[in-house]
Amino acid sequence: MIIIGEKINGSIPSMGKAIAERNEKRIRSMAKKQAAAGADYLDCCASVNENEAETMRWMIGLIEESCDTPICIDSPNPHVLAEVIADCKVPGVVNSVSGEGDKIETIFPVIANTPWKVVALLCDDTGIPKSAADRIRVLDRIMADADRYGIKHDRILIDPLVEMLCTSEDGIAMLLEVIGYIKEHYPQVHIVCAVSNISFNLPYRKIINEAFTVLAMNAGMDAAVMDPLNRDLRGIIYATEALRGNDFYCMDYIGAFREGIFGPVEEETK
Amino acid sequence: MVESIKETVVAGKLKLIEGVVREALDNGATADEVLDSMSVAMDEVGGKFQRNEIYVPEMLVAAKTMQRGVGVIKPLLAGDGIGKYGKFIIGTVAGDLHDIGKNLVSMMTEAAGFEVIDLGVDVPADRFIEAIKENPDCKIVALSALLTTTMDAMKNTVEAIEAAGLRGGVKIMVGGAPITQEFADSIGADAYTTDAASCAEKAKELAS
Repeated sequence: MIIIGEKINGSIPSMGKAIAERNEKRIRSMAKKQAAAGADYLDCCASVNENEAETMRWMIGLIEESCDTPICIDSPNPHVLAEVIADCKVPGVVNSVSGEGDKIETIFPVIANTPWKVVALLCDDTGIPKSAADRIRVLDRIMADADRYGIKHDRILIDPLVEMLCTSEDGIAMLLEVIGYIKEHYPQVHIVCAVSNISFNLPYRKIINEAFTVLAMNAGMDAAVMDPLNRDLRGIIYATEALRGNDFYCMDYIGAFREGIFGPVEEETK
Repeated sequence: MVESIKETVVAGKLKLIEGVVREALDNGATADEVLDSMSVAMDEVGGKFQRNEIYVPEMLVAAKTMQRGVGVIKPLLAGDGIGKYGKFIIGTVAGDLHDIGKNLVSMMTEAAGFEVIDLGVDVPADRFIEAIKENPDCKIVALSALLTTTMDAMKNTVEAIEAAGLRGGVKIMVGGAPITQEFADSIGADAYTTDAASCAEKAKELAS
C-alpha cells in the first residue's frame, strides 16, 4: 500500500496558518512525524492565492531538510507543478492532472522521461462525471495520453474520485465499478483514494473511513492520501493486506505492530 | 559468518538464508557448523516464543528459514547430521482434524534435529502402531488433540500402543489446547508440554 501523508496541506486550517506565518518549525515537525510513521510520500500543498510556486519551493526545502521521504507536489495549477518539479531533489509524485484544461499537456511532457509518478483524477471540463461510464471515458483518454508520452502505467495513480457517502444513492457501487474497470484494463496502474472524503457530513467519520478503506482495498485501491499518524487506519490497512493474502505469514502486520505504527499507545512515563 | 546464519534464521529472512549459507560455506565453514548455528538459532527462537516475545508465524517462518538453509547443506552432510536425535512420529488423533499445533511441533522438532514422520490428522490408533512397527528405531511418538471430545481418542491410542506390546520402546508425548499435565498423567503419557518450542526441548531430553 502506498501511503501519501496528507498533513502538509494549506487547506487544513492550522497548516494554512503555519504557511501564512512562514512557521518553519511546524512544517519541519509535520514532515518528520509523517516520515517516521512510514509515509511513502509527503503531500505538499500550499493552498495560497498568491506566490504559490515560491511558497511551494519554501515548503519543499523544509520537507527535504527534515526527512528523505519523496514529496507529492500538490496544486490545482499545473503550471505551478511543472515549475516546482525541478526544485525537488528526489523524484516524487505530481498531484495532479485530470481531463481538465491543459493539465495533461502541461505536466506529461515535463515528466515523460523522468521517474516521476503522477496522480490523475477522473474529472474533466464538465466537472465530476456522475456515471461510471463517463469517468471511464475520462480514464481512457488520460491513459491514451500517457501512452502517447511514453509514461509507463505503473507511474500513474488514478484517483477515481471519492465523493461523500451521505448523499450517494448507491453507496460506493459506482466507484467500485470504476475501480474494477481500471484493474481489468490497466492492471499496472495504481488506484489512489482520498479516503476521508467518503465521510463528509457524517458523525463519527472514523468508522466510515475505515470501512471504506477495507472495501476499496478489496476492489483494488493500493494507495491512499491519508494521515499516516492515524494508527487505527494504518492497522486496518495492514490487516486488510494480510486478509487479502498479500502478507506472507503476517510478517508485515507483525513488523508494523512492533514498530509501533498501530496498536495501543503506551503510557508515557512522566 | 556462522553468526550471520544464526541471525538470518532468528529474523526469519527466508529469501536470504540460502545466500548466507553458501557464503559461509565458501568462507570455509563446515556443513556441521552451519547446522549447529541454525540449531542454536532455533533454540533462541523457541525461547523467545516461550517468553511471549514473538508470535507463532514468526516461529514458523524461522523454522521454514532453517529448512531452506538445511536444503543447501543437505548434500554435504554425512547423513547423521540431520535427524541426529532419531525419529519422531507425530499425528493428530482420530476424530480430530486440527493440524496447526501439530505442524508447529513438527517444524520445531525437525529444526531441533529429529527426523519427523508426520502421519497427518485424524490418525487412528492402528496407524500409529503401524508407523512404530515400520520404524523400530523411533524413540518418540507425539499425539496431538485440540478438541475435548478427542481427548478420549488420545487415551485409546496410548492404550492401543500398550496392547500392541510397543509401549516399552517409545516415549509418548501429548499436547494440544485441552490437554493438561493431570490428563497426561492419567492416560500414562511420558510427557506433556504446553507449546511447540518446549515440546522440541523435551523431545531432545527424552531422546538423549
